[in-house]
Amino acid sequence: MTKPYTLQELLVIAVAKEIRDHENIILGVGLPTTAGALAKTLYAPHATLMMESGIIDFEPLLPLNHIADAHSCRGFSYATDLFSAFTMTYRGFVDVCFLGVGQIDKYGNVNTTAIGDYYKPTMRLPGSGGAADFLSYAKRTVLTMLGGNFVNKLDYMTSPGYLDGGDSRDKSGLFPKGSGPAMLLTTKGVFRFDPETKEIYLAQIHPRVSIDDVKKDVPWDLKIAPNLSETPHPTDEEIDFIRRFAPAMSAGRELSLELTINNMMKKAKPT
Amino acid sequence: MKNENSKIMTAKDAISEFVHDGDQLVIGNYTVGSCAELIYEVIRQGKKDFTLYSQSGIFDVEVLVGAGCVNRLITTYVLRAGGRKGGSAVERALNAGTLEIEDYTNFDYNARLVAGMHGFTFIQVLEGVMATDLFRKRSFMGEDKFRVIKCPYTGKDLLTVPAANPDVCIVHVQRADKSGNAQYWGALGSVAAAALASKRIVVSCEEIVEHDVIRSSPHLTIIPAYRVSAVVEIPWGAHPTEVLGHYNIDFFMYGLFVMADGTADGLKAWMDEWIYGCENRAAYIDRYIHRFGSGILDGIKAKAFYSAPANYGSAFTTRWDREGRERNMGLTMEELEKTLRERGKLYD
Repeated sequence: MTKPYTLQELLVIAVAKEIRDHENIILGVGLPTTAGALAKTLYAPHATLMMESGIIDFEPLLPLNHIADAHSCRGFSYATDLFSAFTMTYRGFVDVCFLGVGQIDKYGNVNTTAIGDYYKPTMRLPGSGGAADFLSYAKRTVLTMLGGNFVNKLDYMTSPGYLDGGDSRDKSGLFPKGSGPAMLLTTKGVFRFDPETKEIYLAQIHPRVSIDDVKKDVPWDLKIAPNLSETPHPTDEEIDFIRRFAPAMSAGRELSLELTINNMMKKAKPT
Repeated sequence: MKNENSKIMTAKDAISEFVHDGDQLVIGNYTVGSCAELIYEVIRQGKKDFTLYSQSGIFDVEVLVGAGCVNRLITTYVLRAGGRKGGSAVERALNAGTLEIEDYTNFDYNARLVAGMHGFTFIQVLEGVMATDLFRKRSFMGEDKFRVIKCPYTGKDLLTVPAANPDVCIVHVQRADKSGNAQYWGALGSVAAAALASKRIVVSCEEIVEHDVIRSSPHLTIIPAYRVSAVVEIPWGAHPTEVLGHYNIDFFMYGLFVMADGTADGLKAWMDEWIYGCENRAAYIDRYIHRFGSGILDGIKAKAFYSAPANYGSAFTTRWDREGRERNMGLTMEELEKTLRERGKLYD
């Protein structure tokens, strides 16, 4: 009998398994950091972890607060700058990067900039940051969507997926052959892209989720893999690592924030 | 007595003298170690009508936009407080029509400053964004946001951005000497390019150090003294953000800010207390300790993890050896001068 797990823990592990040994990985904040640390500890000890701010080859001791967080490690091997972190991606030295998603369409194009009109947004999202260039040039990109939506048409296209599907990405001449989103992780499952049509499909479903639960979030007739698998129950080793390394990740954002505020309010005492 | 070589000033005097209404103002720091106190001083002095550049427009951009200092914003990333239900000063200002924004990727934004830093008029960037709305949707820069040219060598379409040379950069670093040599380490990001592209540079630092410290660690210097207009010593100058080797991010204060930032009234109340209500950083820290005690600040102070010293030494520091002979020619000064005369090299 293995330990019980939280949904967040399941998600981190699903992402970590995309990292292979000896790869160069650019980590983003949140779930990818924990996934990178987990992968390096358990599955990919020779992976080189990088941050786009130019922190290259670090051993994370804490989850990153942001992508310029030298406080999360004790030193690192190579201090370069942001400009070089991107040109090394452009030149093909980065295997995997991770991006969060606000809106995604059928072909893996991504919006992280604005909901509604760009100039007078209903909701202004963060923007590109490194996203558009990473999704352009990393060999593989892992997308994570925890609060976002599937849409027929993006309100703003921040980062290029497979454009209009088929061979349109390769034909554009703008991107390295074979690059693009490799998978999308949501709270309900793992999605991949058809090798020919580049249309997104459901490849793996999390426990306690039905296909209908997944389909109701998608405004087109979502394709399902014939060999659809279920995300496996995490091992004790995986759960122990995540809970010790990133306990707030295990708890999830809302609960950890509530507990943090309560604790901080107690600690803040006037003199 | 004022030292001629010293550019040490108070934040108040430095901002008053070197930051002007209508300037193109660039925040030198990227995500980490924001020049919080210099920004607060800009706000307290009511400076306005900026075109603001910020690589990662989170805390810094929110307070400057919230205070009404900014007309135009060039950035890659903005803060959204409180997730989907929340908001931000940037979102409010866009909807009120008081702010125009130009969105770039991290690389494009930084490339504009790198071009400016090196004196180029434009620079090639990564062409992938031509497939996106970053390329298609433009604001106040219009045609000049991006232009496509033909590579004269390969005939390929190249995407380019124009150089940026902001009027003034404000930036926080770990240490500097009195003449302005500024040392910064950790996440290098785009800090050096933002500073060096700019016409004027105001540096704040956690500590002013002797020039000898700089001389023996030049690999840490990112801005040379001759480019710097003013140096301001401000311990805790980046709080509530973090400075490597000094302190971590203060989640408590940052959390208070983020909770306030979701509404205009909330942000105003927070700024009334923590920006307008404190005449300088010392007053801000005093207020913090008075309100919340010193336990949180003590808890985020860095424990030392020193860099291994790099040996900048060489074999000798004079051409003359211990016997007073020139190391290669083997002559004493007296012998050298005698030879020069014999060979007809000296003129009376």
